[in-house]
Amino acid sequence: MRKEDLVALRDVSFTLDKGERLGIVGESGAGKSVAAFSILNLISKPGYISGGEIRFDGKDLTRLSLQEMSEIRGNRISMIFQDPMMTLNPVLTIGTQMTEALHAHQQISKEEARQRAIDSLAEVHIPSAATRIDQYPHELSGGMRQRVVIAIALITKPPLIIADEPTTALDVTIQAEIMDLLMELCNSSGVGLILITHDLGVISQMTERAIVMYAGRIVEEGDTKDIINNARHPYTHGLMGALPQKTTPGQRLNQIKGGMPPLNEIPKGCAFNPRCPLVDDICRTTRPDYTTMGSTRVACHKALSEES
Amino acid sequence: MSQPALVGVHDLYKEFPIHGGLLEQLSFENGRLIRKRESVKAISGVDLEVIKGESLCVVGESGCGKSTLARVIMGLIRPSQGEVTYDQKRIDDLSMGDMLPYRRKMQMIFQNPYASLNPRMTVQQTLEEPIRFHNPDLSNSEIKDIVVSVTKSVGVDPSWSSRYPHEFSGGQRQRISIARALAVDPEFIVADEPISALDVSIQAQVLNLLMDAREQRDLTFLFITHDLAVVEHFGSRVAVMYLGTLCELAPTRKLFSVPRHPYTQALLSAIPKLNQDSSEYIKLKGEVPTPVNLPRGCVFHSRCIHTNERCTREVPEIKVYDDTSIACHAVEEGRI
Repeated sequence: MRKEDLVALRDVSFTLDKGERLGIVGESGAGKSVAAFSILNLISKPGYISGGEIRFDGKDLTRLSLQEMSEIRGNRISMIFQDPMMTLNPVLTIGTQMTEALHAHQQISKEEARQRAIDSLAEVHIPSAATRIDQYPHELSGGMRQRVVIAIALITKPPLIIADEPTTALDVTIQAEIMDLLMELCNSSGVGLILITHDLGVISQMTERAIVMYAGRIVEEGDTKDIINNARHPYTHGLMGALPQKTTPGQRLNQIKGGMPPLNEIPKGCAFNPRCPLVDDICRTTRPDYTTMGSTRVACHKALSEES
Repeated sequence: MSQPALVGVHDLYKEFPIHGGLLEQLSFENGRLIRKRESVKAISGVDLEVIKGESLCVVGESGCGKSTLARVIMGLIRPSQGEVTYDQKRIDDLSMGDMLPYRRKMQMIFQNPYASLNPRMTVQQTLEEPIRFHNPDLSNSEIKDIVVSVTKSVGVDPSWSSRYPHEFSGGQRQRISIARALAVDPEFIVADEPISALDVSIQAQVLNLLMDAREQRDLTFLFITHDLAVVEHFGSRVAVMYLGTLCELAPTRKLFSVPRHPYTQALLSAIPKLNQDSSEYIKLKGEVPTPVNLPRGCVFHSRCIHTNERCTREVPEIKVYDDTSIACHAVEEGRI
């Protein structure tokens, strides 16, 4: 690491079992997207991975050549992005964009690829898939477009999908449909999912395990149920408490004072210490290590116990 | 209703033409020259009253016309038909000059604090401008005093006011745009998705700030949002919009405990909740129809599970049941 580099992620480790659904939560700038993008080596320059390894199928993804990486991207690990308007190419038909992934990774005839594309459009419940396939993205609604993006991600039958805020740009009723669809597909084909979102409700409904990130570090990791109901880290606790649902209507919301520090001003010791209600001397000087409490792993000197 | 309305909207329509110039309107069909004019029907027949001192929330999905409604009320765009009143006086047909006193009383907070603050003006300049404009008699030092007190009241350090917007975080920027709205001492505030662009912990801070301001300054709010959790917390009454029309208007607690309109029911069930499986929501069939060609009858009928023949034919009128107004044939006929 060079001396003046900004550190976006620090000492982030997690594992994902086959077919598991993992959520990464955090506020903007917490590093959740960087963490997920690193898996596919999609960090844009001048950013780089300065240390550590990313193991997938027994291979270290950080050491692969460009070509080896292309074999993984879109084939073994697919990605779903936030805004389907930006992800789809506006001047190509949906069919072209869908079969592109197949032709890139498999020896497959044109007709066969087209049939596979139609099948996977039907799989994401797009009505009259055979005619839709020749349409352009602007002819579809936002929800439909996101379905197409999901179909493209799944067309090569990857064992893992990384979804970066897949429902944030959508309305609630469409969001519910898309979440339903993702769950259905994950369950039926045993696809693993890394879901990045800032919406704790989405995490609660979609994932089995969750990671909470703050200022480039994992502050808490555990079963989603425990994170939601029994948060150990004061930040997670504050985040949950700040939800309007947690307060009687009309009352003031519980707020966490201040904001997340920018990467070049991360405080000494625990990065959360200036905002933490439980802050102590040790928090200002020493970076907390992880302690295990039940199903959760938490980085805090003052981690909340069961009762509090 | 016992109290008089501060702001009223009566039979409001707003259409945006999308047909272009004369040549673009012309086309050949079956050997004949046809002139076609199309428009987006953003609002089709909305009646609404905001009572003094209340916080009326308008919810709905993208494209339902909630932001257009806000803009028409503020006088930023003119309605195609219908009227807007303030203190029982019609204001939508006023000239720019006659509108001025109302502009001071009505202020707006926008969604995106990155776009609504001028990047080339310091906070001081941003806040001074509306005060100077609306109170030309004030001296410089009086204006400075107001700026200091208003920045303090939104939790921004007055010594930072020589800074530019880019030097602030999103939450602080939204505080500054709230300060700008409060600086001219308004009575009525239209907030168009004021916290949607912010992170959860910052949302709570800004929402608390708005609630403080509402109490201290006795403000009336029209709060536009798509986030129903915020509505339940902030609003005294809620108006649900769908495709340019009002579906249901009810006191907040009532709307959340017994939603009556089928669209409201679907909307409420779709909010992701903590500790609940995702599949327990009312699935709507189909998609939102385009506002260019509105469906006949009830605009919601193509997606509603309670549709009957009457819904496809006749536009439902708003009917009042106790303190709830609902536009739905099924509710009226007692089918729901």
